[in-house]
Amino acid sequence: MASQAVAHEAEHHAPPPNVDADVVTRELIATTTGASGRFKAWTWGLGILSVVGIVALILKFIDQGDDSTKWGYVAALVSFLLSVTGGAPMVAMAPVMAKANWVRPITRIAALFSFAGVATIIMLIPLVAILPPLVTEGARRRTVWYMAPDYSPHFWTTLSLVLLLITGIALFYSAALPDFASMRDHSTGWRQRLGKRLARGWVGTDVQWRTLRMRIGMFGSFYFLILVFVNFLVSTDFGQSMVPGWRDAIFPMYHTVSGFQAGVAGVVIALYFSRKYMKLEKYIHLDAFWSLGRLLFALTLLWIYFFYSSFIVFWYGRSENDIATLDLLIKGPMIYAFFAGMILLWFVPWWILIWNKVRRGTAMMVVGSFVILIGLLIDRIRTFVPAWSVPGDQIHQKWLKVIPETVWPDIFDILIMAGGISLVAFIVMMMTRVIPVLSVWQVQEFNLLAKPIRYMKGHATLVAKPD
Amino acid sequence: MRKSILGLFQQPEPAADAMDGLKEAGFELGTFDVLTGTPYPEGAFGEHVPQHRLFRYPAFGAIIGFTLAVFLTSVTQLAYPLVTGGKPILSIFAMLIIMYEMTMLAGVIATVIGIVIESRLPNMQPGIYDTRITEGWIGVVITFDDESKVADAESVLNKAGALEIKHA
Repeated sequence: MASQAVAHEAEHHAPPPNVDADVVTRELIATTTGASGRFKAWTWGLGILSVVGIVALILKFIDQGDDSTKWGYVAALVSFLLSVTGGAPMVAMAPVMAKANWVRPITRIAALFSFAGVATIIMLIPLVAILPPLVTEGARRRTVWYMAPDYSPHFWTTLSLVLLLITGIALFYSAALPDFASMRDHSTGWRQRLGKRLARGWVGTDVQWRTLRMRIGMFGSFYFLILVFVNFLVSTDFGQSMVPGWRDAIFPMYHTVSGFQAGVAGVVIALYFSRKYMKLEKYIHLDAFWSLGRLLFALTLLWIYFFYSSFIVFWYGRSENDIATLDLLIKGPMIYAFFAGMILLWFVPWWILIWNKVRRGTAMMVVGSFVILIGLLIDRIRTFVPAWSVPGDQIHQKWLKVIPETVWPDIFDILIMAGGISLVAFIVMMMTRVIPVLSVWQVQEFNLLAKPIRYMKGHATLVAKPD
Repeated sequence: MRKSILGLFQQPEPAADAMDGLKEAGFELGTFDVLTGTPYPEGAFGEHVPQHRLFRYPAFGAIIGFTLAVFLTSVTQLAYPLVTGGKPILSIFAMLIIMYEMTMLAGVIATVIGIVIESRLPNMQPGIYDTRITEGWIGVVITFDDESKVADAESVLNKAGALEIKHA
């Protein structure tokens, strides 16, 4: 077992003292009960908005189900929700595999976003019904599906999103087994019964802990593979293939990386509100924000890298289809969305997150994260709305000859977008009533492996890293 | 019927002493185990760490997948010997993609099977237990076929500083 001392800069806070294991168990399990009036009000509000959004989705399908050009905002919403709910659980997996100690207490909150993948699937259902088959008007349209059956994109995208949801929940459950045992032992009522049922006889033997680690590693790896695959399918089948002449090998990766950025931003926001309103300051340390801030900063810079790598090919290419694609996605009907997205997704967060003092705090970190999510939503609108606005009769052209006008959202679109985003927040908030928002055993493990010490004249955290 | 006793400790060090004491008293490896509410680093209690065989499953699966892929691509191309662009019938670059995909697929499937086998089925009747373990206490559980050894085990646990001993 190696150990290392992580010295903090002089002005940084002294590491918080460890909390006794029995206090950790008691206090974190207590967070599932006794919701405040404000929490209940927000949950009701978000729940109502979610229902309104789903009703609006059904009404829009009945009213506009035969016109694909009016579904761009729903496609943008699906892409946005996939990015946030799909990207967030990566925080529960990637740093853990790198043995980062700071991430242990917050993996649960990231994993809870997996359940919100239900919102993505609900919003995808009408899109799958509206997406044109591979062969339309007697000819095969240009997609990644060369010789595949007609409804391959419909089938495989739906299947992969369902698989992503199942794998995300499996990843959550694998890591939650010991906490269900804690609920079985120390909770009451239906939570205790649920804990007993889901703990599956967990008592904490050495073999159980070893297989738990194996399962987390396995489901984490699968989750990453499926997430990249889903991002590829959604970005190509529901984006690029809708526009004649839009050929961009970098766009799926751009979509994936901006999804990771949104996922980390989503976790920061959830972490901020949990810390503040559930009084979890002694468990969610500033170190977590500091580390997430650095991750978010790096992903923000990656956004401009991938955008520019993609853009420069079209810019120098100057073929007819390159010019038409730039006209559609950047210079044409979405020029304002393009600049707004770039400013909010890259420029503003860059200048917020570049400061060490910001990353060591919480308030500006959450502001930066909200800015990133707004920027991402606008960027997804900038990409998917013009893609879906191309009329079906132009789908066989070599490139787009007529650039469509700007499509503005109608009342259905606004309600659906508000409802879809609310549904994600609603699901995450409801899950905090079922299981502690922070992983009990991982907080205890954090305390076991990290000890605050005096280091010469300063403070430091001594971190043990088991091999 | 097998009998079990559980010694409860508030600190990990005496629990590790108890594990050492059980080994010295002649208890066989596998008849005693440690229960914890959080994962201590492997070997922290001096417990027996069995070597798992998980790494064999993906390697075995990958070999099977690769072999199948070579067979599939070779046989199909030889069965339909169409010369394309002057390339040889068995064109390695065209075969590589299928070989990679099938190697990965079989490797992944074998890993899932391996995880299930290595994890074993959950024991829904876990036997002797104490709810304080999820509050940070450490349990040392000993299982006996021969009840004459119960007194020896109790003596080791008491000597190590067990705060409580439970019988089942």
